[in-house]
Amino acid sequence: MKIHSLPPEDVLKQLIVSEQGLTEKEAEKRLAEFGPNEIKEVKKKPLIIRLIEQFTHFLAVLLWIAAFFSFLSEYLHPGEGMLTLGLAIVIVIFINAIFTFIQEYRAEKALEALKRLLPFYVKALRDGKEKEIHARDIVPGDIIFLSEGDKVPVDARLIETSGLMVNNAPLTGESEPMPRVSDKFDGELIESPNVVFAGTSVVSGSGKAVVFATGMQTEFGRIAHLTGAVESGLSPLQIEIIKVTRIIAVIATVMGVFFFALGYFMGRTFWENFIFAIGIIVANVPEGLLPTVTLSLAMGSQRMAKRKALIKTLTSVEALGSVTVICTDKTGTLTQNRMTVRKIWFDNKIIGLDDADARHAGELMKIAYLCNNAKFIDGQYRGDPTEVALFKAAKETIGDLKLERISEIPFDSERKRMTTVNMVGEKRIVFTKGALEGLLPLCSHMLIKGEKIPMDDVLREKVVDAYHSLMDVGLRVLAFTYKELENRNESGVMSNELKDKNSSLIPDEIENNMVLVGLIGLEDPPRPEVPEAIKKCHEAGIKVIMITGDGSRTAEAIASEIGLIKGRPVIVEGHKFTKMDDRELREVLKEKEVIFARMTPKHKMRVVSILKEEGKRVAVTGDGVNDAPALKKADIGIAMGIAGTDVAKESADMILLDDNFATIVNAIEEGRAVYENIRKFISYIFSSNIPEIIPYIAYVIFRIPLPLTIIQIFAIDLGTDMLPALALGAEKPTPELMSQPPRSPKERLLNLKLLRRAYLFLGPTEAAAGLFGFFYVLKTGGWQWGEMLPVSNILYMQATTACLTAVVVTQVANVFACRSYRESVFNIGLFSNKLIFAGIAVELILQLFIVYHPVGNKIFSTYPIPVTVWLVLIPFAFILFFSEEFRKLIVRRF
Amino acid sequence: MYKKILAAINEYLNSEIAAKYALNLARICGSKLYLCFIAEKGLSGEGFNRAEDTIKRLFIQADTLGVEAEIITESGDPVRKIGEIVRHEDIDIVFAATRREDIERRFYASTVARSLSLSLPCSVALVRIVHIGKIHPKKILVPLKARVNHVKERAYFTAKIAEAFSSEVFIFHTPKPISKFFHGEIHFSPLEWEKHLPLDISHFMEHMKRYKVMHGRRILPGKAGKSITVEAFAKRHDLIIMGASQRSLLSSILKGNPVEEVLRETPCDLIIFRPRHEDT
Repeated sequence: MKIHSLPPEDVLKQLIVSEQGLTEKEAEKRLAEFGPNEIKEVKKKPLIIRLIEQFTHFLAVLLWIAAFFSFLSEYLHPGEGMLTLGLAIVIVIFINAIFTFIQEYRAEKALEALKRLLPFYVKALRDGKEKEIHARDIVPGDIIFLSEGDKVPVDARLIETSGLMVNNAPLTGESEPMPRVSDKFDGELIESPNVVFAGTSVVSGSGKAVVFATGMQTEFGRIAHLTGAVESGLSPLQIEIIKVTRIIAVIATVMGVFFFALGYFMGRTFWENFIFAIGIIVANVPEGLLPTVTLSLAMGSQRMAKRKALIKTLTSVEALGSVTVICTDKTGTLTQNRMTVRKIWFDNKIIGLDDADARHAGELMKIAYLCNNAKFIDGQYRGDPTEVALFKAAKETIGDLKLERISEIPFDSERKRMTTVNMVGEKRIVFTKGALEGLLPLCSHMLIKGEKIPMDDVLREKVVDAYHSLMDVGLRVLAFTYKELENRNESGVMSNELKDKNSSLIPDEIENNMVLVGLIGLEDPPRPEVPEAIKKCHEAGIKVIMITGDGSRTAEAIASEIGLIKGRPVIVEGHKFTKMDDRELREVLKEKEVIFARMTPKHKMRVVSILKEEGKRVAVTGDGVNDAPALKKADIGIAMGIAGTDVAKESADMILLDDNFATIVNAIEEGRAVYENIRKFISYIFSSNIPEIIPYIAYVIFRIPLPLTIIQIFAIDLGTDMLPALALGAEKPTPELMSQPPRSPKERLLNLKLLRRAYLFLGPTEAAAGLFGFFYVLKTGGWQWGEMLPVSNILYMQATTACLTAVVVTQVANVFACRSYRESVFNIGLFSNKLIFAGIAVELILQLFIVYHPVGNKIFSTYPIPVTVWLVLIPFAFILFFSEEFRKLIVRRF
Repeated sequence: MYKKILAAINEYLNSEIAAKYALNLARICGSKLYLCFIAEKGLSGEGFNRAEDTIKRLFIQADTLGVEAEIITESGDPVRKIGEIVRHEDIDIVFAATRREDIERRFYASTVARSLSLSLPCSVALVRIVHIGKIHPKKILVPLKARVNHVKERAYFTAKIAEAFSSEVFIFHTPKPISKFFHGEIHFSPLEWEKHLPLDISHFMEHMKRYKVMHGRRILPGKAGKSITVEAFAKRHDLIIMGASQRSLLSSILKGNPVEEVLRETPCDLIIFRPRHEDT
């Protein structure tokens, strides 16, 4: 038993309040007990803590330790450049932390948007007097007054109403006004017509209600809590980056410790070994990876914006590419939300609208015209799309009608019908339009060729057959009925059934013994791009689940028209859905083709949760306030840019600027491309780790001068490599990207194939080039094996510069090689990504600055080298490029 | 198990609603109900009258429901006095409402509710009332840890509350997500988690079956406090029954305290239950 199932007279007793309302003292006490009526933010990890965490994860801790020992080393052995190294490491930590934070950061404004739906003040009865009270101070037990235009601040049980109509759109998504009464109701609280909910508004009439829930305990608070508390978890890319950094950290530590020990046994001093160990760690860490990933995602989001998909969180760019299921609305997303009357049924026959004329279809069109709230103003039709379509069809068939409307029972999504009472001459006629399931049982007659025929089972069957045939071609079907009201009062005053315009009509009293006139089938045509987008989804192994408020036959017909279903889909209707337990729903969701019909937005979150629990990566569309929790829960929440509420937009990860399903598929394609591109530049970045590590190993084992200094490693990782890597991030999606199934959650970003290629093939070629350049300069300068050179020696500086230049030159070839794992660069087009050339140009300019500019020389301990050194290094670039082309050829062939 | 039930009443509305849970439990168990009001020092006359009115209303309701009830009105320290009554009358379980000020204190330390829970020699049900519109709970959420003590009494208490209101019970377990250093968190589907269902929870469910209470279960890895409130909000539960926290103050500071988290953010009434009857 809940408050809505009590009769109005028991409500006050139950909530322990008198008809005079609460006393101020009691209200104060209840305020202290239940707290203020406000929407509270769910306690979350503060922003500062989230930022600090970026400085304290495993890899960051490792780097902090390296920085600490560098500073210690500088303190104990000043002048060996350890201060610069320590500072450089700290800068790397900061760069990585800030870029990761930028990736994850998202301004949470959904709650602000929700709060805007609540009023500041409300009229309440306290100590027997009507008072204007701050909405925050309303408590359970308060009696409040509602009138037209008021926003409702709490959940309250109505005890008196007068023609009260509310807009429940924030809670139910239904924009039609709903009538409210004070009678007891035995169904679910959320569906109760004797309850007003926080966040909704009064459209017309007035009422008196007793508050039973405030703040976060209201239905509105429930949405707010779920919107704030529900999280979709880490994106696939974030998970992969964590794994990559852990792997790198372990490899770096193990190598550092191993070579430290090796150096010790080879008789080097502690500090020599220590510098070396730090160098190994720094060389292993791809310092530029996280900034490059972040910038690449930012570029991806720019490309998506151009395709009308606005991305709100950077990590969502890649998450889109991993989506395995899309749960989509129908109206407005798959279809155009432009209703048109296509077919009509009357006198036992179905005809097209073009064949309808006023003589034959006049009665049917009259109801469509009069039982309608659409308007024709300044040459434009205005109103709900379904009503506009009916009004337009009727107006064009029978012309304008001017008949006084006496009263109206507005459309109600629970009753699924609307009724008006009009004066037709001296008669009062009731006109009703709505779903046939509800109307047919109310009809006692049917109008056939102008004659009222008593309704029998044969007629009923014919009506249902016609109804089904219209729905089977994807039409939304409405039934139209009428009834003449009898005046029991002979003086001409309104009958008991109909008192006055302002009184609330009791549906049961007038919607009975009606005459069925006919059916009208409306079409909401699919968007032209949708069938192709659905086809792409199927080819890409993405399952599309339609969630619609329409009936199952209409939904199935539309799904069939757009190619969403091929066989016999599993169709679950709202009433069945609510009765299913999670286990049953889980089984349904495993089916290949699933449609959810007659659903409301509140059901979406359950579908999304179960899909996620099953390990699916889910994208869901939504536009209403109560879609917000599902949008937050999904891996990718997609809000409608045109039809969406602010709350939905604030809760979503992506906003569709054109509300079009095809845009989602385009964004997924971009997302997949981004992931592939991240792989490409990881191959590129990791390749240069080897020529950074090998010189250190050679330095320890062969007792040669160090070929590449730590600061020069930074020059590669955070300088010359960055822009070419970013250019790889801008590679266009290849056609085959959407013909592959979504990547498996088990598939790693950093897999063995990638590491093998980078560490055993591309990297060693670059390392060979680097060492060749180093020894070439030393040898031509007269250096003898075993001779150790001071760091300030010009020959030594030129040799390290040559090593650095060799890595840069081979990386130029590598950027082309990394554009594809299998395809030849000549096949994908040498010039198809112009950014690559821009990236290489910047890389070379930067290298020229490092080699030839005095400032560059000072920072990176380099010294200008002659052109001949460049010339001996260039062949290595060609070797790398063509040997990689040869490898690709073998991979393609075998 | 519960022959004598005591409901602690004060001048607040919460205590009246909390006492209704005790009243209904007494009805279903055929127990005697003690409606006990201890007037604290400094209580205003108005507060005293309000508490008296509450007791009268509850007494009439008990009479209507055919529950034998006795009124005890005394003055003094509520914790000490209730303790004396419990010992003297051999009370089996005490129902007391938590106040809002209780939840504003971290770990509700030094509150009457906590003192009652810790010091009484009988079982204690601390009731947090947040939603007075849900008169009879239809859906009861019962979060359970992997290791549950006093399984028998917990099951009995839950089953009887469910029986009193013809409610359905939803057992909810939130294990810690399983993760590996290189792989991070490992995803298991609910069916896979079912295989890891702790023994104590299985026992609890067997009891539910024995008491013929409609029940379901759900296993969802995550942070206990947050998962419980999200589940209660999402599935529109009407009542949560959970065990009292057994974490020490230090452990609560370090690891958090799920009971406290739920207490602060519960969308529906909450009973924090501390059983004392040993399993036999």
